[in-house]
Amino acid sequence: MRDFEDYSWRDLVDDEVRYIYTPYVRERAVGRRPGLVVVHPTTPVAGRWSVSVQALLQEARRRGIPVVHSGNPAEAKSGEPVCARPCESAFFSTDLERTLKRMDARSLIVCGAPTSGALRATAVEGKSFGYRVAIAEETVGDESVFLHKMALFDLAHKYADVMSLDELVAQL
Amino acid sequence: MPVYQIEHLWSDVVDASTRALLAHRKVPLFRGKRPVLLPVDLYDLVYDGGPKPIRELIEAFPASCGENAWRALPPTIELYKTARENGVPIVHVTYDTRKETDPRGVHPTNRKRRQPDLALYNIKEELAPVEGELVIYKKRASAFFGTPLPAFLNELGADCVIIVGESTSGCVRSSVVEAWSLGYPVAVVADCVFDRSELTQKASLFDLHLKYATVMELPEACEFMRNARL
Repeated sequence: MRDFEDYSWRDLVDDEVRYIYTPYVRERAVGRRPGLVVVHPTTPVAGRWSVSVQALLQEARRRGIPVVHSGNPAEAKSGEPVCARPCESAFFSTDLERTLKRMDARSLIVCGAPTSGALRATAVEGKSFGYRVAIAEETVGDESVFLHKMALFDLAHKYADVMSLDELVAQL
Repeated sequence: MPVYQIEHLWSDVVDASTRALLAHRKVPLFRGKRPVLLPVDLYDLVYDGGPKPIRELIEAFPASCGENAWRALPPTIELYKTARENGVPIVHVTYDTRKETDPRGVHPTNRKRRQPDLALYNIKEELAPVEGELVIYKKRASAFFGTPLPAFLNELGADCVIIVGESTSGCVRSSVVEAWSLGYPVAVVADCVFDRSELTQKASLFDLHLKYATVMELPEACEFMRNARL
């Protein structure tokens, strides 16, 4: 696995910030019995993230990893559960938590957009619910590159195990 | 309708194309007659080691916000004074250190190095609750997660919340998102929130203002509280 700080936010973070955040540096991993939560944006978010989401979805389906969609009723035709999302977090005022229970997911892989909005809120609340949360950086996207990088920086240090898609898939 | 000139709070950190997103900002005007002030995690731990640059404190005090915390202390004291003079309830928020809640094992974040002294989660003396003020003890980032805060706000008759404290990118942010999710207009007082770095502080202020809250400075926040009809 690459160095903890060697991900998309690397150009925003100088040596001092990197040093200040050393108490947060730790081993990263996908938790056991993961469920994949796909956070669909409410308004379109451009970028290659959606291609990587499809690649991750394919890997998850091939391995029988449970998949749940947040916020896009059109995904119901995949046969996978869809939880309507009234706010930012995929958990807030939704049946995501009981859906994860029904699927017997014990940890989370979260992907989708926007990185600084619904995706971030979902990852933070997933951590609050007691799940280990993994994120592949290619599978999340935002209308602002700056907000994308800052959200990943915060998530990686405080709430989630951020890695590359290859690194994540290698652990499934 | 007051217009707060606040772009200087982040313009040297947030690039111009990202700042341009403010043109599409959908956050409604901050308004309300019964505000509640929510200070998040202003305990001794974050002032640990004194008002020094964090890089000088990080080895001995891995949770300290150093000079950033101390810089926010006088304006926060002034904000409390204004709130109390004008009958704005303060609901304090701190970490639950009861041993039955596994205070050394269950944390809001995945930070690896921690201070072992749980007494450091006492709310800082200058900001301590006075008789009759409510305190929320939390285990997670958001002040709302698994706590009676939503009920307290309803029982207080709150119709908007003003959030201060630390860290701007962590517990403040997730509390703002959850207050917004519950339907409250939210204000964040820039002088009274702080973080470990200027980068995360300014990026968070911008992002919160863009999506969920109205960021304002101390004079505007005090004026708002003086004008609230309680």
